[in-house]
Amino acid sequence: MMSLFPLCLGRPGRRHLLPLSLAMVMAITLPWLLVASPAHAADRMAAGAAGAAPDDRSTPPEPQPTRPFALPTLHEQRLANGLTVVVAPRPDLPLVSITLLVRAGPEVDPPGHPGVAAMATNLWTKGAVRGGRQVPAAELARQAEALGGALDSHSSWGAGTLAMTVSSPQVDEALALMSDVLRRPVLAADELERARTQALDGLRVTLSNPAEVAALVLRRSFWGDGPYGAAASPAAIKRLTRAEMMAFQALWVRPDRVALVLAGDITPERALALAQRLLGDWRAPGAPVLSLASAPAASLAAPLVLIDMPGSGQSGVAVAAPFVSNAAADGASRYVGLVANAVLGGGYSARLNQEVRIKRGLSYGAFSSVETHAPGGMFSAQSQTQHATAAQVLKLVREQITQLADAPLGASELAARQATLVGGFVRRLETNGGMGALLVGQLAQGRPLAELGNFVPAVLAVTPAQVQSFARQYWQAGALRAVVVGDLGAAGDSLAAAATPTTPATLRLTLGELDLEQAGLRKP
Amino acid sequence: MISAVCTERDAFMPSLFTRRHGLALLGAAGLPAWAALPEAAAPAEAASAARLRARVGLPPALPPVVLAPLVLRQRRLPNGLQVVSVPSRTGATVSVQVWYRVGGKDDPAGRSGFAHLFEHMMFKRTRHMPNEMFDRLTEDVGGQNNAFTAEDMTAYQNEVPSNHLERLLWAEAERLANLQVDQASFDSERRVVIEELRERVLTDPYGRLFNALPQACFQRHPYQRPVIGNEAELNAATLDGVRRFHATYYRPDNAVLIVVGDFDPPQLDAWVDRYFGPLTTPAQAIPRVSVTEPARQHDERLVLKGPNVPLPAVALVWKGPAASHDDAPALEVAAALLSSGDSSRLNDALVYASRAAQAAGFSAELYADAGMLTAYAIAASGQNLRKLEEALLAQIALLAHGKVSPLEADKVRIQLLTTALLARQTPQGQADAIGRAVLLHGDARQADQRINRLQAVRVHDVQRVLEQYVLRARRVSIDYVQGAAA
Repeated sequence: MMSLFPLCLGRPGRRHLLPLSLAMVMAITLPWLLVASPAHAADRMAAGAAGAAPDDRSTPPEPQPTRPFALPTLHEQRLANGLTVVVAPRPDLPLVSITLLVRAGPEVDPPGHPGVAAMATNLWTKGAVRGGRQVPAAELARQAEALGGALDSHSSWGAGTLAMTVSSPQVDEALALMSDVLRRPVLAADELERARTQALDGLRVTLSNPAEVAALVLRRSFWGDGPYGAAASPAAIKRLTRAEMMAFQALWVRPDRVALVLAGDITPERALALAQRLLGDWRAPGAPVLSLASAPAASLAAPLVLIDMPGSGQSGVAVAAPFVSNAAADGASRYVGLVANAVLGGGYSARLNQEVRIKRGLSYGAFSSVETHAPGGMFSAQSQTQHATAAQVLKLVREQITQLADAPLGASELAARQATLVGGFVRRLETNGGMGALLVGQLAQGRPLAELGNFVPAVLAVTPAQVQSFARQYWQAGALRAVVVGDLGAAGDSLAAAATPTTPATLRLTLGELDLEQAGLRKP
Repeated sequence: MISAVCTERDAFMPSLFTRRHGLALLGAAGLPAWAALPEAAAPAEAASAARLRARVGLPPALPPVVLAPLVLRQRRLPNGLQVVSVPSRTGATVSVQVWYRVGGKDDPAGRSGFAHLFEHMMFKRTRHMPNEMFDRLTEDVGGQNNAFTAEDMTAYQNEVPSNHLERLLWAEAERLANLQVDQASFDSERRVVIEELRERVLTDPYGRLFNALPQACFQRHPYQRPVIGNEAELNAATLDGVRRFHATYYRPDNAVLIVVGDFDPPQLDAWVDRYFGPLTTPAQAIPRVSVTEPARQHDERLVLKGPNVPLPAVALVWKGPAASHDDAPALEVAAALLSSGDSSRLNDALVYASRAAQAAGFSAELYADAGMLTAYAIAASGQNLRKLEEALLAQIALLAHGKVSPLEADKVRIQLLTTALLARQTPQGQADAIGRAVLLHGDARQADQRINRLQAVRVHDVQRVLEQYVLRARRVSIDYVQGAAA
């Protein structure tokens, strides 16, 4: 199912194309040691005493010395037409992940026309000209799948991506196919109609899940009317035109906005030769790349939105708060923010899941994620619980966010969350797909790849005082926005009490009254 | 065996229930990491495929990749613990997994969901560990842990920086031997499991349908009870039941320890002896389910209602063979032909060409004792379920009786191979494949051999099994529609 809602939490987007020199060749090595374990507070807690006898099995043994772990060398090059080529060679398995990234996502949708980028990206694979002949969607799918992979297109903030993972003998054919699909899509009217119908059906499914509705409403209530708050409602999908698809393609899909990322069993030399052969003759248009105005978040006045969905199995609870932008000026505080997010909701043992699940059994899980864009960022926390406890979960989540400003973290908690963050990062690098996605994310944000080499030390350098100060700056109670979607009748009076007793008041709507295109969320 | 075909909707994920929220189930969504020395296609078929490629203007097929087999080290301790390990020093992580031969089918009578509830308790207190100590040993040092319960098995899967291997071995032995859950932790974690049930079954728009399939499929075997259970029976579970379950099933001779990744083999063996060697195995036999599932005698039709069904759906279920049956690979290839990828037959015909379905799929979920074959379609707006059911059956019949291009068969072979390669990338993925091979096929080497068997499946095998298990077999048809839930 196509996702027309650009809800790619944790995969942040970007706004500006960085000035990059032509034919730049760069090789970056990312060496670091896998993080050593933090203080063994847990062991002491477990055993009550240190210094157990050698054959005593009542305490866990100490870890062995840390073993080194080297990451692949990254090669970044530029074709004469401005197209970026990034290669992360890893010869262990005969497998390659290939991504073509167009640095344009839903943020480039014309105001009032959400869904254009997502639909155009979706239509890439629905027909393309290959060797002078129009190849329809079903045949493109057959060609891709005959190579053992699948042609996967996706639109998220700052990024339209076309990706395939294939065994290494298939790389040439796969990239030839991807190149045709990206450069010469048909964007046919009948395919738009078909995709429109599918998207509308997909939306019906999405809008019947309280957690998904909560996430959509949260985005709108946090960002307001700007591009990052936009969601393609059924009405917006009905308005999409083929002319808009063609305009997206003409404006944004040009070699100087495209990057080719290859991770896996391929050498930089072979990759560059392949890129030159298949993409080197692509001419950039004369017109300069458009630049976008960026508007900061303009949150809805109501701090809490309640959406009634009678009969739903649970309530979805979601809370948003401001976060750093992806501007260079916010560079240092980004790592502090990532650690702060990890403390709250970046893992099983993080505070939200501790309070909501582990201590109280109120939910299967409570987690948070962050996204950064040019004008600002958003932190968002989500959980699902039974209706009667929705108010309690909301209160716990809000408290955990704001209380981070009240006291500095303990050393062992900080070390554990830093290790979780670093471990997650390193695990992404274990697979070609994970490695490719990390590189694509970095390119989509317009940030240098060399920065990835700094990720581990930068995370490990964050201090308790920095986290506290970050929370004071970004996570004040007044800046939070919250949404609860569920059977409000079954929730009883508890949610009314959860509403802040001050003005502006809680906004309460039925699902039928909800209109994601209206600034006030209510159908006119 | 969990087939690679449940790709259309999360609602049709295999029935695995996990401790954790939102974590990728390594190997669960795809086929296990069977290593491959893919058998060449039969000569006549290969020649025909080559002619066809030339005719449609495709370049000649490239030779398939060759995968080195897993370097398996296997041993069994005197107490019955089976140990499988694969050393590979390419990374700095190690996967430590313990798989137990106990699953949803072993839920005590009147305690549906118990094996899965118990799995959550394995993260609670032991004699020498406080609650959630496993998170301290994994997540807090940059590793991860998860666990899942399926019909035949319960698996605990950890991945840690490799210098923490000894600590994980200590901890897995500790919870195998010394679990000591208290009442407060039991009550709280039971609430979590009930929220998991609500989230997966009641809140997901298609959760109720997915949950109803095993109940519709199996007439006698305990597979008919969903692994997640139901709220009333979960509430009837007791702490005493937890102790009994642990004593009955969590013993060395009912477990498989799997270690894959960065370790020194002699050092691993010494640590395993040290931490698992002293554990004792009770004298009494492990109770086993011995129910034989009968063949279905009549077609049945059910209507299932849910309060939030955005688009109605139809599911058809048939009984399938056990995972280790000779027909299993052919059914898995059939599932891939029908529903793996956009160019698969069901997607191409029902979703793309006729626009009758919003999603459609076919899965072969083959468990240790019996299997379930499912065809389903979620209706596109305004589509009639009867016509959708006819269209599903027509596509299956077309595959079973019609011509299958050699290119289509080649496509599925390379898809299956690529899926296997993907799962091979991480120690967790390799360990997961080994666990499934041991638990479902009784032999770790099947992790490699199964991929060869899949590559060796011929079109006539696919046609024969579809005829036998689907077209000539009795089925249950389930309509899933909006309405007050029963």
